[in-house]
Amino acid sequence: MLKSKGRLLLAIALAGICLPQTATRLITPEIRRVGDKLACKCGSCNNTVATCQMLECHYSLPAREKIGNMQKAGASDQAIVNTFVKESGLAALASPPAEGFNLLGWIMPFIAICFGLVAVVMWFKRMSPPKLAGSQVEPVIDRKYQQRIDKELEELE
Amino acid sequence: MENVGALAILLAFCFSVYAVAASLAGKWRSNPFLLLSAERAVYSNFFLLTAASAILVYSLIAGDFRLAYVAGHSNRAMPTAYKFASWWGGQSGSLLLWAWLLSLYSAIIVFQNRRKFRDMMPWTVAILMSVQLFFNLLIGFIVSPFEVLVQGRGIVDVGDGQGLNPLLQYWTMVIHPPILYLGYVGFTVPFAFAMASLISKQKGEEWIHTTRRWSIVTWFFQGTGILLGAGWAYAVLGWGGYWGWDPVENASLLPWLTSTAFLHSVMMQEKKGMMKIWNMVLVAATFFLCIFGTTLTRTGIVSSVHAFAQSPIGVYFFSFLAIGIAATILLILSRVDYLKTESRMESVVSRESSFLFNNLILVASCFSVLWGTLFPVISEAVTGEKISVDAPFFNKINIPIGLFLLFLTGVGPLIAWRRSSLESLKRAFFWPILGSIVLTIVLGIAGIHHPFALMSFALCLFVTWTIMGEFYKGSRAIQAKSGQNFAVAAIQLTHRNTRRYGGYLVHMGIVLMFIGFTGKAFDKDTTVEAAVGDNFRLGGYEMKVREILDGDNDNYSWRHAKIDVSQNGKLVTTLEPERRGYKASRQPTSEVAIWRRLNEDVYINFAGSSEDNKKAVIQAYVFPLVSWIWIGFWVLLIGTIICLIPSKVRLQYARTQVVGVTSKPYVEVER
Repeated sequence: MLKSKGRLLLAIALAGICLPQTATRLITPEIRRVGDKLACKCGSCNNTVATCQMLECHYSLPAREKIGNMQKAGASDQAIVNTFVKESGLAALASPPAEGFNLLGWIMPFIAICFGLVAVVMWFKRMSPPKLAGSQVEPVIDRKYQQRIDKELEELE
Repeated sequence: MENVGALAILLAFCFSVYAVAASLAGKWRSNPFLLLSAERAVYSNFFLLTAASAILVYSLIAGDFRLAYVAGHSNRAMPTAYKFASWWGGQSGSLLLWAWLLSLYSAIIVFQNRRKFRDMMPWTVAILMSVQLFFNLLIGFIVSPFEVLVQGRGIVDVGDGQGLNPLLQYWTMVIHPPILYLGYVGFTVPFAFAMASLISKQKGEEWIHTTRRWSIVTWFFQGTGILLGAGWAYAVLGWGGYWGWDPVENASLLPWLTSTAFLHSVMMQEKKGMMKIWNMVLVAATFFLCIFGTTLTRTGIVSSVHAFAQSPIGVYFFSFLAIGIAATILLILSRVDYLKTESRMESVVSRESSFLFNNLILVASCFSVLWGTLFPVISEAVTGEKISVDAPFFNKINIPIGLFLLFLTGVGPLIAWRRSSLESLKRAFFWPILGSIVLTIVLGIAGIHHPFALMSFALCLFVTWTIMGEFYKGSRAIQAKSGQNFAVAAIQLTHRNTRRYGGYLVHMGIVLMFIGFTGKAFDKDTTVEAAVGDNFRLGGYEMKVREILDGDNDNYSWRHAKIDVSQNGKLVTTLEPERRGYKASRQPTSEVAIWRRLNEDVYINFAGSSEDNKKAVIQAYVFPLVSWIWIGFWVLLIGTIICLIPSKVRLQYARTQVVGVTSKPYVEVER
């Protein structure tokens, strides 16, 4: 009896820990607009303040509340973002700002694609069949033979 | 028992050293006995690691809490399946799994090729066992899974353990890590074959077929592992996300992207003897990205949700990566002559070109994901300031790249090998493009104005049209010739060329997944505090909390809600989300309830209780089209299996190349 009472008390105590008391905090479109620019720094997700869905999140919920309060006080979106950056540094932003060294973060993938394109074009040029010097003869390939090559190549996939 | 386990790992380490040395010495001295003993050392290594793994699993299931690993990752109350899954729930256990899987793959390779590739196999064994040696070193000397808990001079039994992380106590977690590891570890095999072929200057094409086959199998495991992880995140984390661009998620995607590029470009090598250097680079990149992925998960150099286990083993991984990459580059450079291309490009408008662009985009995508993952570390090193690179960055960069890749998926099959005429392109593209334009207009009129969503839907239709067109034309031709019904003709068509039509099905699976991804643009959600009898609305659904129950078992305490979901006043389903509190770890988790349908999922999370404890905090979501991601996976699975079935028509890989032009017609030679 004592043992089962003890277990019941333990279960209630654990339920208290495990099922935390949580207040619902709604997110308005205005808060979402600013929250989308800010990173959730809870350490458990890679979302923004607006998209973090963890109810117990110790970062995004106070951050949303703060955004809402600043909006009520008349602060502009940029002013709110600047406040967060001032407090937590650039890490407060969901994406690095496109300036200074961090600009490289944005453009590097596209630089890589451009390099790749140049490499492909150069490879094409190298791999193209050599032109026969002075030859004015039009290539004539037997149609039947050409069709057979095409058919076999298709089947070889 | 723990001493036997540790001894087994130590012996496995010795055998892996011996296998490397005997393979190299046997090859150098042309001694077949040494080569044979090296291969037997591979089997011994497998048996020893199997024994070590069995001892660890037995200790986890039996609850031998003298072992630090068992005390840290298992407990008495956990179901047996999760006790088994604790094998890979922590650092040293997961490294043991890596080592065991590699030993299994190596034993299969040695057995399968006991009469094949005799010239190349010693090198293959040496490379496989070098990687094995590294992992045996880690689990033998650095992070042993058989460490015991000691106090003073005595071994301590703590009575019960901390248990597996509650988030990992979900059925997909029992299979997600081993399947992902089957992919990660499996890419060692194509790498070993490719490097061995370079060292031995292997002639012929058979090794490419073997490498390609292994690549398909491991590519499939990798993809399945990624999707199981996505499925787990969707069903467990409680907010319906399946991909969060977390560094460890990204790390699993990187080798999948490069191996996808390899599976396409290797066709150029098989058919035309082209892109040999590039293929070597892709195989090597895939393998090293797998090691890099393991490094990220195990060392926590980049902050990640998934870095469940962290320890200072990074220096070993980075040393291994540095030595391996340097050796591979040197090897490729020293074999440039052997890797000379055998044919030339005949036209820019050709299937060859589409493969090139496909490779360019896949590798660019891989690079952008890698860059975004590492950029916080690079930026901090340069500027001294921490930055965040979260989902918005990855979405902005990768959505356009992904859509372009989808476009190429549709274009590729319509362009002929060697060259395509403008006329044939017009014929092939007219209807699919027209269909896509019409769909875009219709969706626009229906109220969809999200630009990427519109593009994605249009491209999905375009690719589906081209794939179905290929099946339709081929099946009709067989039907006309044989008089069979259309379905039988389609099966026969697929059986005639399994690689081609299986590949089309894989593409179709990817298209279905894109449809699912696109649905993300239309998600709806609400969070409410509701008592029994309260109603709330989301989208076209009305939800009513019918009952809230509490309970308790040995492993966790729970609170359970029954919520009736109605549509147009009619009850359509009852969902039962649950909130659990695990006793050993004192961590809460959610068991979400999902009503899955083809058009949209209704997803409910029991997120907690209100401040007065009288109401349930319910998060409700509507996720349009998400089921198509999982359907796409099944189509991809069927396509991959078809690719692995030998074609009915045995194909010879005769190479064609332009050697010049002539003014006279070719004379057809009778066979």
